Amino acid sequence: MSMTPTSTNGTAPRPALELRGLSVTFPGRPPVKALSDVTLQLHPGRALALVGESGSGKSTAAKVLTRLVAPSDGHIILDGQDATRINGREARLDYCRRVQMVFQDPFAALNPAHTVAHHLVRPLALHRPELDAAARLERAADLLRQVDLDPAAALPKYPHELSGGQRQRVNLARALAVEPQVVIADEPTSMLDVSIRLSVLDTLNRLKRDRGIALLYITHDIATARHVAEETAVIYRGRIVEAGPTDTVLRQPQHPYTRLLLDAVPRVGRPFGATGRISAEAERVRAVSAGPGELVPVGPGHLARRTAAPVANA
Amino acid sequence: MTTPLLSVRGLCVDYATSDRLVRAAHEVSFDIGPGEVLGLAGESGSGKSTVAFAVARLHRPPAFVTGGTVMLDGTDVLALEGEDLRRWRWRHLSVVLQSAMNALNPLLTVEAQFRDLFEAHGITNRTEIADRSAELVRMVGISPDRLRDHPHRFSGGMRQRLVIAMALALSPKLVIMDEPTTALDVVVQREILEEVAELRRRLGFSVLFITHDLALMSQFCDRVGIMLNGQLVETAAPSDMIAAPRHPYTAKLWASLPRLDADPLPLSKEAAP
Repeated sequence: MSMTPTSTNGTAPRPALELRGLSVTFPGRPPVKALSDVTLQLHPGRALALVGESGSGKSTAAKVLTRLVAPSDGHIILDGQDATRINGREARLDYCRRVQMVFQDPFAALNPAHTVAHHLVRPLALHRPELDAAARLERAADLLRQVDLDPAAALPKYPHELSGGQRQRVNLARALAVEPQVVIADEPTSMLDVSIRLSVLDTLNRLKRDRGIALLYITHDIATARHVAEETAVIYRGRIVEAGPTDTVLRQPQHPYTRLLLDAVPRVGRPFGATGRISAEAERVRAVSAGPGELVPVGPGHLARRTAAPVANA
Repeated sequence: MTTPLLSVRGLCVDYATSDRLVRAAHEVSFDIGPGEVLGLAGESGSGKSTVAFAVARLHRPPAFVTGGTVMLDGTDVLALEGEDLRRWRWRHLSVVLQSAMNALNPLLTVEAQFRDLFEAHGITNRTEIADRSAELVRMVGISPDRLRDHPHRFSGGMRQRLVIAMALALSPKLVIMDEPTTALDVVVQREILEEVAELRRRLGFSVLFITHDLALMSQFCDRVGIMLNGQLVETAAPSDMIAAPRHPYTAKLWASLPRLDADPLPLSKEAAP
């Protein structure tokens, strides 16, 4: 799949991070293919939403990108350099500094025994040894301001003294502490109350733009994609089934599975029954969406996978 | 309006901490009509589950119901005690929780768990139990052949279907569903709730539906209520509430939803909470 944004002078900018033909197989009887031939590009200052259900492989993609899972096939390209195999502490540390992760659970991702200040100063001590203690603390305060938290109030606090949204902001500040080029956010708002989700996504969006971060936004909630991501890729059973500009994918979905996901999203003021039940459709779509099929262009920068059999438009 | 099935008046629930009482539900009043689905929405800590637990009499110390009345089909629910309460619960009111996927005993087959349920309520005829169990699982789209399987053989969605089948086993008049599909994928969530809606039409039970998902609530419920800091601030039909929210918090909640039809990439300047 190619999701290269075309720049004004015609040359495609170099992606910050790329997956090329990446596959992950977990051992078992039979082996489980979690990702099949996944190609994605993340560009500086832009976000890609990777949308899928449980078991689709979206979190496996995050784990590959954060080096928690090794790919069985394909390549990881960081800033033009092949980083599929990295050896040694230095190289690993460098990769981890450049590619940071924000996890789903804001309660589990912070150590209950440490203050916010500790959470931010520690990665700085590891990755920025040239800074002295005072400079690190000043940098920590600056990071909190960037994620819309008041440093004076937040720095001395322990995680249990913060709300879920505040904790997720601390996680974000922690990821930003080492000035990464890429941030992988795996369901960063799914455990937060609805009323604060959009404000956290706004913060992500602003940081992405202001700091030129390449963002991979992993979610099961296709409705939130447009709040953060210029491009959206839909993943089903380890394969990308559709990808393109978010607005196009959401407004003119071409793959039946994308249409099914969009139909199932809870929509204000559309009572059940108005459009018929989803079950029969879901069964049909799942049956035709699992096959390998070919990803073919269906519009500018827009790709969809061919299905095993035609499916009536919803 | 017809006589309500459930009538909650001035319900207060307090949690006792070491030095004071924390009010979790304050003077909450609402009705649910026969066959009606009422949704209660609000953020974590708003008191929506506290209200549901009070109606189902599930509170244990340090939570105490400190005021109000709950009447279900002529029964003073808060006055039920001991064996009467045990017999009443499930026969007249049943509960499906968010963690219901894990509510099944992993050591017993589904069949054995249905048997337990029936026997606990005085139904001991093996043939009758087998027939009714088969009918119930069929009703939620699962083959009766699978009754002999253990819970781990089922997907999360199927386990939640089984729990819903168990909740309907004794034909209760009210089913309380507390975030019943929150842990499930959107497509599965939609499939299950459409099925519940269909069963409700067929069997005529009422539902108290607790959720944090306002959009989902607006699709599934006949009326919706918004909880804030332990109080029910507004109750209305979803379309009326969307068109003209009466409480500022209600308006803020509806406005905070991600919309598929919103402008792309809105970047609000709103400060963090």
